[in-house]
Amino acid sequence: MKKNISICFLSFFFLFFMSMVNFMMMIYFIMNNMVIFLEWEVITLNSVSVVMSILLDWMSLLFMMFVLLISSVVIYYSKSYMSSELNLNRFIILVLLFVFSMILLIISPNIVSILLGWDGLGLVSYCLVIYYQNFKSYNAGMLTALSNRVGDVFILMVISWMLNYGSWNYIFYLMFMKNDYEMYMISSLVIVAAMTKSAQIPFSSWLPAAMAAPTPVSALVHSSTLVTAGVYLLIRFNLLLVDMLFLKILLLLSGLTMFMAGISANYEFDLKKIIALSTLSQLGLMMSILSMGMPDLAFFHLLTHAMFKALLFMCAGVIIHMMNDIQDIRLMGGISNYIPMTSLCMNISNLALCGIPFLAGFYSKDLILEMVSLSNLNLLIYYIYYLSTGLTMFYTIRLIMYLMVNDYNLMSIYNLYDEDYTMLKSMMVLLFMSVVSGSMLSWLIFLNPYMIYLPLNMKMMVMYVSLLGGFIGYFVSNMMIYSMNKFLMTYNISSFLCLMWFMPSLSTYGLNYYFLKLGQNLLKYVDLGWSELYSGQGMYYILKNYSIFYNFYQVNNFKIYLFSFVMWMMIFMFLMMMIL
Amino acid sequence: MNNKMIMMKFMFMVIFMIPLCLKKNMFWLVQNLMMLMMFMFMNLNVSIYYNTNLSYMFSCDIMSFGLILLSIWICMMMLMASENLLKMKFYVNFFLFNMLFMLLMLYLTFSMMNLFMFYLFFEGSLIPTLLLIVGWGYQPERIQAGMYLLFYTLFASLPLLMGIFYIFNKGNNIMFYFLKFMNFDFYLLYFSMILAFLVKMPMYFVHLWLPKAHVEAPVSGSMILAGIMLKLGGYGLLRILILFEKLSLKLNFIWIIISLVGGFYISLKCFCQVDMKSLIAYSSVCHMGVVIGGIMTLNYWGFMGSYLLMIGHGLCSSGMFCLANINFERLNSRSLYINKGMMNFMPSMSLWWFLLMSSNMAAPPSLNLMGEISLINSLMSWSWLSMIMLMLISFFSAGYSLYLYSYIQHGKYYSGLYSFYTGVSREYLLLLLHWLPLNLMILKVDWVMIWF
Repeated sequence: MKKNISICFLSFFFLFFMSMVNFMMMIYFIMNNMVIFLEWEVITLNSVSVVMSILLDWMSLLFMMFVLLISSVVIYYSKSYMSSELNLNRFIILVLLFVFSMILLIISPNIVSILLGWDGLGLVSYCLVIYYQNFKSYNAGMLTALSNRVGDVFILMVISWMLNYGSWNYIFYLMFMKNDYEMYMISSLVIVAAMTKSAQIPFSSWLPAAMAAPTPVSALVHSSTLVTAGVYLLIRFNLLLVDMLFLKILLLLSGLTMFMAGISANYEFDLKKIIALSTLSQLGLMMSILSMGMPDLAFFHLLTHAMFKALLFMCAGVIIHMMNDIQDIRLMGGISNYIPMTSLCMNISNLALCGIPFLAGFYSKDLILEMVSLSNLNLLIYYIYYLSTGLTMFYTIRLIMYLMVNDYNLMSIYNLYDEDYTMLKSMMVLLFMSVVSGSMLSWLIFLNPYMIYLPLNMKMMVMYVSLLGGFIGYFVSNMMIYSMNKFLMTYNISSFLCLMWFMPSLSTYGLNYYFLKLGQNLLKYVDLGWSELYSGQGMYYILKNYSIFYNFYQVNNFKIYLFSFVMWMMIFMFLMMMIL
Repeated sequence: MNNKMIMMKFMFMVIFMIPLCLKKNMFWLVQNLMMLMMFMFMNLNVSIYYNTNLSYMFSCDIMSFGLILLSIWICMMMLMASENLLKMKFYVNFFLFNMLFMLLMLYLTFSMMNLFMFYLFFEGSLIPTLLLIVGWGYQPERIQAGMYLLFYTLFASLPLLMGIFYIFNKGNNIMFYFLKFMNFDFYLLYFSMILAFLVKMPMYFVHLWLPKAHVEAPVSGSMILAGIMLKLGGYGLLRILILFEKLSLKLNFIWIIISLVGGFYISLKCFCQVDMKSLIAYSSVCHMGVVIGGIMTLNYWGFMGSYLLMIGHGLCSSGMFCLANINFERLNSRSLYINKGMMNFMPSMSLWWFLLMSSNMAAPPSLNLMGEISLINSLMSWSWLSMIMLMLISFFSAGYSLYLYSYIQHGKYYSGLYSFYTGVSREYLLLLLHWLPLNLMILKVDWVMIWF
């Protein structure tokens, strides 16, 4: 009995309870159309108040409910997954801190108090990424933290730009000050901040790198909560963002993110990285639908995606555990024969990701794609959307084939087990949610249904690209090893595609070299060079030389006295002679 | 009580603590008395509008109140941090005397109304610092470091003395309160008055003494340097700048530009450091650069924010030096190549490293964040182009903080390690006393922010 009460179980219970409370409150709020806005004033300077605000509406409550639910099951899951970890308490506390900062981020509609959550997410996720002590996670953590720090800095700049309005409750200014020049500045800064958190294109490299974290962390942090913080911020800012040039750029960038991640996932053989790239692709989808002015659809997809993506990661964790910590999918295969329950969860979440009808992803993704077809778009964006949908199917089928169908390649003798009920139970909760959350949410949060009116071919377009992607995925997964070597014929292009368009290299070696070089030169030439020369050492040198010089005169004064006397006399006599 | 004694009684308290140094085993008594004094001083009545508690030459407004509190607090924690001296019996009595003398000087510096007396004690506080570095430092280079410390400050502060005399000659008084009624549009006077404080802050280009002094100083010297000495410069600037209202508007951009660009450069230099203390020292130069920028914009946000960041940075960097010393005492090295993998030995200390490191990079809810926000506000309202440098500074300050943290805490520990002991409760208390005011005070931040 005593054994059951661990920190994991306690946290699970608490978080689950809180999640249910939030669910009830959300229902109450949405039925009564209620919003609670709390404000606590920290300080007022120059009649500008720094306040800590709390906004509770159905959106924040619903998001909190999802975050708490996922975190509760993730913590329950890590009781088994991290069971041999010596510092389990530290791990759980870090995860709890992470959830806490996420909640602070969700509930604050104030750009100063949002920093509490925003910075907290960055810092705690840094701690979680570098949880395992090796160079890989160290580098990944640094990349994660610094990419996120770019966003923090942009939020700081937003704070100083918001000073113009005399308050930091941005939520009040979104409509009213929309056409103000400063608001353009603010919204572009906010968009960049959100892009860093949600790993959109110039900043995407940290998300796959962050897979160095323990798998429960990946399930919670890098799939459903941290990365959606940027999307959530932009959902809150959405009133501001309509009809802005920068938003068009965001649409392009997020579309490209979606496309790039989809392609890279097909080249990847690391199980967690494939899932991470699919997260990236879905984030691109959310961002792009958001930048087309449909925040509620983005929110909808955010929630459903959180469910099945967390589940997917948890399944991946089970598989990795079982495979003696091997993450390479080429070594896996045929596991559906040995671990049916986990395979079931894995397949359902994968299919939900693809948007197979009546699973969670279908409701959000299909709606998004149909709204895209309805809207007035150029061909490029349209193609990016549909190609990415096909690519999702492509890498999913490929992954499923590699995991479930192909041969098991790791060892000739093996023993896989599926009876870790702690993990399975926690996966069951999310399995249920991955099945029902789409339809449940679509009934719950849309006041009036979207009216879709499309020609047959456009309506069936999703089906076409999905089938095409699925077939290609099937064929690719059956590719023989010597055909794979054919990739070397197009080495440049395939390395470009599989290395995420060189973004990881560009955002690490591409940048840090210049700054480190600059720092080194500055240290060498300024601190140890010119500054020393013109102050400390230089002054010392001058004083020393002059004193040696004078000392020389003083020591030799008698000789010099006589010498100069003689000199002067000679000059004198010479002059006399000249005159005479 | 006689009203005239209100400020002086604390001075007397410090002076009458000095005889305690003559006896043995007075270390913790003095430390406790300092803490007691801090709590007594906290009950002082201060007004937000006026200088209060006037007596002879003493007075106290919010800014001097806060900085005196910080000085007593830091001096108390300096004793806590240097328990090693007590164990080694390394001139403990003289050390205690030095501490008390330093506290006396700092107390007098911050509580003087008179510009000359301020100058006197401003310079006077150099003596105990120099003694600390030269007397209790670790390496022979400490002599050079002491010289740097002394002569950088003296070089710029003799013109300050001349300036003070000039002001006295022209205006017939040098009370801080009356400075606002004078105005000098006089270039030479401006430079001579400002420069001493800029060297003390230190501004970029004249900061060389600081890393040297920090590297050579014992932990107490580093703590007082980072905690209080740098703030003397900021305090002086905040008091003095009222004299040069018109000229400041013309010339202050020089200092803002130097400090902002310098802050960025310094934060890049931090990445090249392999000495923990040197890195922390460089990071304080970077933060002080932002403070100089905020002061020089001459607006309300800047003045408030610079005061707040001075308090926050005093607590935070002093705490980081404590941590560096905690590692140093165990490994006898400050090199980042040797201080590695500490998380394996001291997981709880790793928490404190993280907390103080994150406060150093201005993570919420620390005072540093609030200060940085207000300084960014002030600098951005001065010119929005300062955004570029502020972004770089703020980004790279996170960078080097994380670099320091994860270099020390992660990875494999040094294989030449012979023996090790984990943290003791004194050290945890010490760090708590740094961290708690730093992060709890945000709940009542006007107490350390609004000073006029």
